[in-house]
Amino acid sequence: MSQEMTPRAVITGSLAILFAIVFVMVFWPHATRDMTPSEIFRERTAEENAGRALYIANGCVYCHSQSVRSIDWGNGAERIAQSGDYVADRPVLLGSQRTGVDLSQEGGEHPDDWHFAHFINPRFTRPNSIMPPFEYLGMDRIKRLTRYVQSLGGKSADSRMAHQDYWKTRVTAAYEAGPVHNAKWLSDHVPEGWRMVANPYPTSVAGLARGQKIYQDFCMGCHSPIGDGMGPAQPWIYPPPLNFTILKGREISGGILYFQIMNGIPGSAMPHFKAELESEKIWDVGNFVAVQFINQRDAGGIRRSEAGGQ
Amino acid sequence: MTGDITMESENYMTARAYCLTAAFWFAVATSFGILAASYLVAPDFMANIAFLEFGRIRPIHVNLVLFGFVTPGLLGAAHYLVPRLMQTRLYSQKLGLITVLLWNVAVAAGMIGLSLGHTTGREYAELIWPVKILIVIGFGLIGANLFLTIRQRKEPILYVSVWYVCAAVVMTGVTYFIGNVVWEPETGALLGISDAVLLWFYGHNIFGLLLTPLSLAVAYYVIPKVTRNPLYSHTLSILGFWGLLVVYTHIGTHHLLQVPVPTWLKVIAIVDSVAMVIPVMVFLINIWYTARGKLGEIHADIAGKFIFTGTIMYFFVSIQGSMMALPNVQRITHFTNWVIGHSHIGVLGFAGMISLGGMYYVLPRITDKPLYSRFLADLQYWLILIGVVGFTIVLTAAGLIQGNAWLNGETIYRVLPEIHVYYVIRLAIGVFIVIGAYIGLYNVIRTLYWNPGAES
Ligand code: HEC
Ligand code: HEC
Ligand code: HEM
Ligand code: HEM
Repeated sequence: MSQEMTPRAVITGSLAILFAIVFVMVFWPHATRDMTPSEIFRERTAEENAGRALYIANGCVYCHSQSVRSIDWGNGAERIAQSGDYVADRPVLLGSQRTGVDLSQEGGEHPDDWHFAHFINPRFTRPNSIMPPFEYLGMDRIKRLTRYVQSLGGKSADSRMAHQDYWKTRVTAAYEAGPVHNAKWLSDHVPEGWRMVANPYPTSVAGLARGQKIYQDFCMGCHSPIGDGMGPAQPWIYPPPLNFTILKGREISGGILYFQIMNGIPGSAMPHFKAELESEKIWDVGNFVAVQFINQRDAGGIRRSEAGGQ
Repeated sequence: MTGDITMESENYMTARAYCLTAAFWFAVATSFGILAASYLVAPDFMANIAFLEFGRIRPIHVNLVLFGFVTPGLLGAAHYLVPRLMQTRLYSQKLGLITVLLWNVAVAAGMIGLSLGHTTGREYAELIWPVKILIVIGFGLIGANLFLTIRQRKEPILYVSVWYVCAAVVMTGVTYFIGNVVWEPETGALLGISDAVLLWFYGHNIFGLLLTPLSLAVAYYVIPKVTRNPLYSHTLSILGFWGLLVVYTHIGTHHLLQVPVPTWLKVIAIVDSVAMVIPVMVFLINIWYTARGKLGEIHADIAGKFIFTGTIMYFFVSIQGSMMALPNVQRITHFTNWVIGHSHIGVLGFAGMISLGGMYYVLPRITDKPLYSRFLADLQYWLILIGVVGFTIVLTAAGLIQGNAWLNGETIYRVLPEIHVYYVIRLAIGVFIVIGAYIGLYNVIRTLYWNPGAES
């Protein structure tokens, strides 16, 4: 055993190493850090900060990252994280697990009512979710949390929110004008070209079974198992999830369903599924909705259109 | 290793208290682990009980295994082996006991705080300010007691275990203070992205400067004892010691390879994560050569068995860790259950196993009786071994599915059903570990208080 390893040598040696490394690897990057805000940065309001405190207190950070990487798809992938996004964060909530999705660009992704239903119980809007229900927070705190979530993404979240708010008044007005008007308004919302497209896939037994599976995994919490829009999420969502039966006899083409499912309906809780479902899956669930709830089918042939189809 | 003297009148109160603490929190911590795992299988299970919500109990699980189970177990062994190696008594058993008490108060208060939602939100640095202060004081008292013990030593030369214990206590005391930003009671954090740099410098050092050196100290003590072989090489122990201290301290940024922190930090972290192979292999060669030809003795001794297994796990977790620091690997593994698998091999398979082995080594020696039940200890060994290996397989598979699916553009929501079955198996395997923990608690309590075994 070596004589040189005296208590003093061990202790001063370890401390010297530690301090040298803290200086170079922690203090130096801190002292020379660039605190220039990024182009999307904005300060949070007091209410958003209160929501952030709830985010911390309830451990959202263990399932949600807030940092988009260059290799990411899906939520927030439009913008790769920059250090200037975090200049007002204390602590920084980067997260180390993605049990749930990245939330750094979550603001404006959905309107508020979607978040209310989702926080009460995530299975209401997302049947396969494993996120905990936060009903215990109570509506006041859920609202504060929603303010924080809607601020994520800074200025770009604000512009997405403005878009949601603009359309919110319109979908609400259309809904309140009654089912006939609403059904027409929703269809008119779809570009002409799409309205004329029929569902190219046949309503085969296998295709409908696939459509049903997708419906159960993605849609049922809002539109309900019988398609009347009275799923468990309904009490929190306004305008409420569409009752598909009001579409009966209105010549709803496969293209209308496809377009709405792919893009969602801005301002309403109806999310877009373009990142979640591949094209064929959207056609399949469209066929299922048409056959099961609207009692019609235009599948497997080209209807009213020379342009669309396969 | 130097010969031991017997110290009849020494009562080892401190070491006993640490062992009991570790066994108790091990049982509690794994109970929370099972609960967390159940939520990932059935999220509406026990829904809407605020203090049992996943996001609140996950840090309870993690903090309890780190600061309730593994660290106290290793400290229990340290409070036996340092006086032994120094051929003296612990400077003050009373001070030691007070420290353990304070430590338990801090752990309990921290956990109550977390369940009520009082947290800083920084992984591994969640605890509220008063608790952090208690823990810093705790490290101070542990250091004081051990250094005063060393000062009154009769054996002039410090064995390698003593270096590791000293370094662990001193360096973690300081790192804990800095990493928890104790001078900012309000937030416990820095402003901006360098908060993450500090956090992972600290977080990584909880494994690297606390769990690892204490575990190595115990292994360096017990393996030569159990095998009755002299330590293979003193040169290697010196190399391994300074190598570990120098390299481990600056690889924390490998947790941040995919976020906007300075590139030079990432480069250093990657290079030195690979360089970690050196201190790791130096230690392992030293220990495995010491045990050469004596695997029978190790197998026959329950402490030896736990600790030798721990060294094998150390090999796997470190090689895996070096791989995970390579950007091409981390593209897939980061953010996934693969990392959770790594955590359990490291903290349970390596440090936890050695912590248990250390406890089973010192318990008979401080109570002067054999363990209450060798059978139960063996059973616990197998339950935990199956648990760790099972976790590794299942979580690694789940992690690969997640990582590859995400890289292909599948959304996280779409991948949830794909990993569901792995969460179910993880839960089932977790039951083995919880049972192991409760068996251990029973065994430790019986060994300490109601042990009919003959005096040895
Ligand atoms: C057990 C891990 C877990 C915890 C804890 C958790 N979440 Fe989630 N979260 C998920 C999962 C999984 C999803 C994806 C499925 C879904 O949308 O529900 C998700 C989705 C979300 C979404 C929707 C993202 C989108 O646009 O699709 C938001 C917003 C969200 N979580 C916010 C929170 C907040 C705020 C908290 C804390 C109060 C929290 N989560 C806690 C797992 C978790
Ligand atoms: C979070 C709740 C929610 C979920 C989940 C949801 N929807 Fe909707 N959906 C709505 C709401 C709200 C509307 C619009 C109601 C309104 O404006 O009157 C709507 C409208 C629609 C429409 C518009 C019909 C038209 O005539 O233009 C279609 C089609 C539709 N949903 C299909 C689906 C499908 C298929 C899924 C699953 C893949 C789904 N929705 C999931 C809430 C939801
Ligand atoms: C040479 C040794 C090691 C290396 C190079 C290494 C490397 C890594 C890397 C790169 C990560 C980050 C993974 C990611 O987020 O993508 C990680 C995480 C982790 N490591 Fe290791 N590791 C080593 C040894 C250990 C040991 C010995 C332990 C336990 C005692 C351990 C415990 C952990 C834990 C708990 C995490 C998870 C941190 C978190 O995200 O919460 N590691 N390690
Ligand atoms: C009953 C057995 C156990 C079960 C069911 C269990 C389960 C879990 C779960 C569900 C998580 C959270 C993972 C996530 O967020 O996806 C976790 C994290 C963790 N567990 Fe366990 N655990 C058990 C035992 C242990 C033991 C005994 C230890 C250590 C001695 C341990 C150390 C850890 C660590 C360090 C983490 C943090 C990982 C990270 O952040 O990367 N666990 N565990």
